[in-house]
Amino acid sequence: MLRQLRLKLPNLPISPWILWLGFLGVLLLAALIGGMLIFWQGLWLTNLTDRVPWGLWIAIDLSSIALSAGAFSLCAAVYLIGLKRYEPIARTATFVGLIGYTMAMLSLLLDIGRPDRFWHALVYWNDHSLLWEVTMCVMLYLTVLILESMPIFARLDWLKKRFPRIADRMSHVHHYAPYLAIAGLALSSLHQSSLGGMYGVLKARPIWYKPEMTVLFMLSAIIGGIALTLFASMLSVRLTRRARTNDLLLERVAHFLAWALVAYVYFRFWDAFAQHYTYDPGRTEGLELLISGPLSFNFWVLEVLLGALIPMVMLLSAYTRRHPFWRMLALGLVVIGVIAYRWDTNLSGLLVVMPYLPGQQTISYVSYVPSLVEVVTGMGVIAYGLLAFSLGVRYLNVVDHRLATEEREAATVRLPEAVPA
Amino acid sequence: MTKPFGRRDFLKIAAVGATAATANRIMTRAGASENSASGARQWAMVIDQSKCMGCGYCTLACQAHNDSNPDIQWNRVLVAGEVAGRTVYLPRPCMHCAKAPCVEVCPVRASFYRQDGIVMMDYDRCIGCRYCETACPYEARSFNWKAFDGPNPVVPKWGQPEVERRARGVVEKCSFCHQRIDRGLSLGLEPGVDADATPACCVACPTGARVFGDLSDPQSQVSQLLSNNQAYRLREDLGTEPRVYYIAADPTKMEA
Repeated sequence: MLRQLRLKLPNLPISPWILWLGFLGVLLLAALIGGMLIFWQGLWLTNLTDRVPWGLWIAIDLSSIALSAGAFSLCAAVYLIGLKRYEPIARTATFVGLIGYTMAMLSLLLDIGRPDRFWHALVYWNDHSLLWEVTMCVMLYLTVLILESMPIFARLDWLKKRFPRIADRMSHVHHYAPYLAIAGLALSSLHQSSLGGMYGVLKARPIWYKPEMTVLFMLSAIIGGIALTLFASMLSVRLTRRARTNDLLLERVAHFLAWALVAYVYFRFWDAFAQHYTYDPGRTEGLELLISGPLSFNFWVLEVLLGALIPMVMLLSAYTRRHPFWRMLALGLVVIGVIAYRWDTNLSGLLVVMPYLPGQQTISYVSYVPSLVEVVTGMGVIAYGLLAFSLGVRYLNVVDHRLATEEREAATVRLPEAVPA
Repeated sequence: MTKPFGRRDFLKIAAVGATAATANRIMTRAGASENSASGARQWAMVIDQSKCMGCGYCTLACQAHNDSNPDIQWNRVLVAGEVAGRTVYLPRPCMHCAKAPCVEVCPVRASFYRQDGIVMMDYDRCIGCRYCETACPYEARSFNWKAFDGPNPVVPKWGQPEVERRARGVVEKCSFCHQRIDRGLSLGLEPGVDADATPACCVACPTGARVFGDLSDPQSQVSQLLSNNQAYRLREDLGTEPRVYYIAADPTKMEA
């Protein structure tokens, strides 16, 4: 059968890689059309309303920023705490972070009503606004990420051949890695937690109005970011020979992740539990949405069970953690859990309509299901992320634990074996 | 490593600097719009629910004078309940809070306090992120989801547009008809007394349920109403300090 197929298509190189590119290309094309419709027609094509002004795009935006947090946390571990041996993972995480932040930018450009004025936050400062602070930090941190990724891009063969001097300069940015890590740590700790704080300061939305939003967003971002980096590395190894990992390193980081998950589950548990036992108009209704309402599947199954408890146990137990397949599965589940947390957080606040008339206690609900154009463009943003990572694995060796950075400057010496842990 | 200025020093100095800068900002936090001491006028609106009969003329006049999208109502008339078998209405413009959540959260200062207490929007600055919509407890903000071109269905019957139409993609809201106040003052008129200087909704109200004026002047009609009546504001528990006051419906004062 296979031979016959090959005979039929003698000159067409239909490899899985090409199929994958074609699939992503279709998604990107559809999103391009959707995006043009949005820019041409406006946001009335979405299912967003004045009551639910933030929806799928914001969830994608929040998730991709959260899942990029591996970059700052692993870079801090490697360059500030001094855990040098994890450098190859930090390298992958930096690239994932760069993709994540550009994904966030793309979905924000769709989401804001006047994308042509995206730069206003840089010029017209409102330092009372957490969203202003987030915007500034994200823009500055994206710059840091671009600098941190310079040595990765310097590996591009074409660049090395065509512009050897530029490639040389770019790989030299690596000397400043500790300083970039400081900047990255500062900027990320600021905006990862203030993304939660952005919700947490809104007194009009009782389920959001609490200080622990910052802690939960920060912790879940670190967990999700590291989990995505490890998951993407392990998946790449399964799919292509261009990716090489040192499984021992991955396992150790996964062990750290397990304990970080314990901390997150602890805080999340008290967050929900304490709210459950105090009636506060609006807050209890928001919680109801999560535990028995339309968001209950997301909450119980995706967020709590699959997203936190099961992977926590899987990563704590030595057997499943050491087994690459189970470890990879657990890491993937953590990523899903963080995305579900962002989605649920956004909607549990917006779907509850708080009354403001005197004496009115009835709290009503609205619903939100993203429209086709929102889904198509959202998928396109995700497809862009997948495409960028795939290209990175293939052409920039972003998942290659055999590369030791110290030697990379001297024309990338490849160590014969994996770096001893 | 014999660096005179190590990573730790850098971290320390950065941390101290950041803390100092933040503390400075928090302490000198602009005290919202409490400018009554500066001698500026303090505009406010008093709405007597005994007089409001829910005709909605205010909404129509507002849409005409501010040339707003037919999908958008800056001033909405809501049913608040029943008193002695009669429906009680609650017209809801922007509250022009002295501590407005929308102003605090706007990332680009497109919403801001005027000296006279009006919470204004700069439509040329708004990026359309809609954070203010999630922050406003009164649902007083509307986003321009769709472009509004073509004739305004309530013009000219309910008035002539006095301000520029907003573009698609920005948030908008009631401005207490700032254009009428500013123009009126420059002509020597008194807002709240002279119709040409008073918000269109108050002028259009057939029962005089809506009264506008200067709170810093004890003789103004709004000050008098507030000192002679028990008034309340919406969601006072939130501490937003609205400038729109309501006098609750009294069955003995409601007209037949």
